[in-house]
Amino acid sequence: MTEVLSPGTIEEAVAMLAEYGEAMPLSGGATLIAMRNAALVEPSHLVSLDRISDLRGIDRTADGKIRIGAMTRHCETAACAELTGSLYVLRRAAGMIANRVVRNMGTMGGSVANADPAADYLPALACCDAMLEIAGADGRRSLSIHDYIDDWYETALAEGEIITAITLPAPVEAPSTYRKIARVSGDYATASCAMALDPDGQGMRVAIGACGPGPLRDRAGEDALRGKLGEPAAVAEFAGKLVAIADPVDDVRGSAEYRLRLIPRLVSSVLSELTTQKETA
Amino acid sequence: MMAKKVLHSLTLNGEEVQVASAAGATLLETLREDLRILSSKRGCNQGVCGACTVLVDGKPVRSCLTLTARCVGHSVQTMEGMDGDQIMATLQRHMVESGGVQCGFCTGGVLISARELLEDNPSPTREAVKTALSGNICRCTGYRTIVDAVCGAAEELSQ
Repeated sequence: MTEVLSPGTIEEAVAMLAEYGEAMPLSGGATLIAMRNAALVEPSHLVSLDRISDLRGIDRTADGKIRIGAMTRHCETAACAELTGSLYVLRRAAGMIANRVVRNMGTMGGSVANADPAADYLPALACCDAMLEIAGADGRRSLSIHDYIDDWYETALAEGEIITAITLPAPVEAPSTYRKIARVSGDYATASCAMALDPDGQGMRVAIGACGPGPLRDRAGEDALRGKLGEPAAVAEFAGKLVAIADPVDDVRGSAEYRLRLIPRLVSSVLSELTTQKETA
Repeated sequence: MMAKKVLHSLTLNGEEVQVASAAGATLLETLREDLRILSSKRGCNQGVCGACTVLVDGKPVRSCLTLTARCVGHSVQTMEGMDGDQIMATLQRHMVESGGVQCGFCTGGVLISARELLEDNPSPTREAVKTALSGNICRCTGYRTIVDAVCGAAEELSQ
C-alpha cells in the first residue's frame, strides 16, 4: 500500500523524505513505477516531484551556463535548441532514449538518480563535465558528475537526497555527438560513446557508457592525445587505456568481451565522424 | 488484497470524473478496474509493450507507469474519447484495410503512438514510422501491415 505525497517545494519534498523512512522520490516514473509493479520496491510513500516548479525548465544562467531542472522530460531535452555545439551530445542522447512515449515521461534527474550504467545520460553528462545540484534535509550541495558514481547502481546521493538540477558549461562551437550500439532502436546500450571535439579541433573529450559501473573517461589520456587526433596509432593507444579501465559484464545485450571490442571501434569511428564534421563546417 | 481507496478528480475524455481508486493506483488500474474503460490494455505492466498507452494533457504516456494521483487536475484521453478525430479515424480505416489488426490487443496503443507521429511529422518515411512505433509490441502482424497502414493514412491526410 503506497501513499502518494505531492509537495510543492524542494524543501517540503526533502522534509517528507526525511520524515518517512520507507519513502522514495518519484520523478517521471518510467523506471520506479515499473519496479513497483514488479514488486521489486515497496515504498510506504512516493514523494511525487512533479508539482515542484523549481525542478522544471532549461535556463541559461547569468554566466552562460545551461541549467536543466531535474524534472525536465527527455522529450524536452531532445528538442532543446540551446543544446548546440559542444552540448549537442546531450540533446542527441536524450533523443535516443527508449521511444517517444517513454521520452514524454522520463526525466533527466530520475535517470541520473537511477544510475543505470547502460542508460544514455551518464556518458553524455560525463563528456560535458556536468555538475549535479543536490538537495537534502541538511541543505544543498553540488557535485561533479565525475565524483557521482561509486559502484554498480551506487551513487554519492545520500538517503533522502534528491537531484534538483544538472548544470552544463556554456556551449562552445565544436562538434559533439552520441553514438549507441543497441540490439534494437530504443534499447539500453550494449556500449555507447559520447564525444566532443575541442573548439580548435586538436583534442577531444570522450566518455564510454555501459562498460562499467559508470561512464569511462580518461582525462589525462585526452590531454596526452591533444594534437594527435589524426594519428591512428595514438588514437588506438588512447582507446586502449579506456579498455584497460573498463569493467563490463556479460548480459543479454552482449558479452563483456564483445563490449571491450566495441570501445576502440566506437572511439575511432565517432572521432572520424566529428573530424569530418569539423572539416566541412 | 483490497487497498484503501481515495477519491481522485480528473478530466476523462472531456468530462470531469471523480473516481475512488487505491491511493497508489496506476492510471491503468483506475481506468480498467474502477472506471471500466477497457481500451487501454494491461500487457507487461512494465512500460515496455505499449498496449496501455493513453494521452495525458495531449501527450502519449504509459498508463501502467503513471500514477492516478498524478493525473488529478489533468486531462486524460483514451481511445473511447477519440471519436471525431480526423487523424485517428483515418488511421483506424487504414489499419482495417491493410490488415494491421489481428488480435487487436496492441491496436489502441499503436494508434495513439501513430497519431502523435502524424501530428509532428505529416509525411514520415517508413523508417520513421518504424522508429515511432518501436515502443509498441505486436505479436501477430509482423508489423509490415501496421507500417503500411500508417504510411497510407499519412499519404491520404497530406492530400
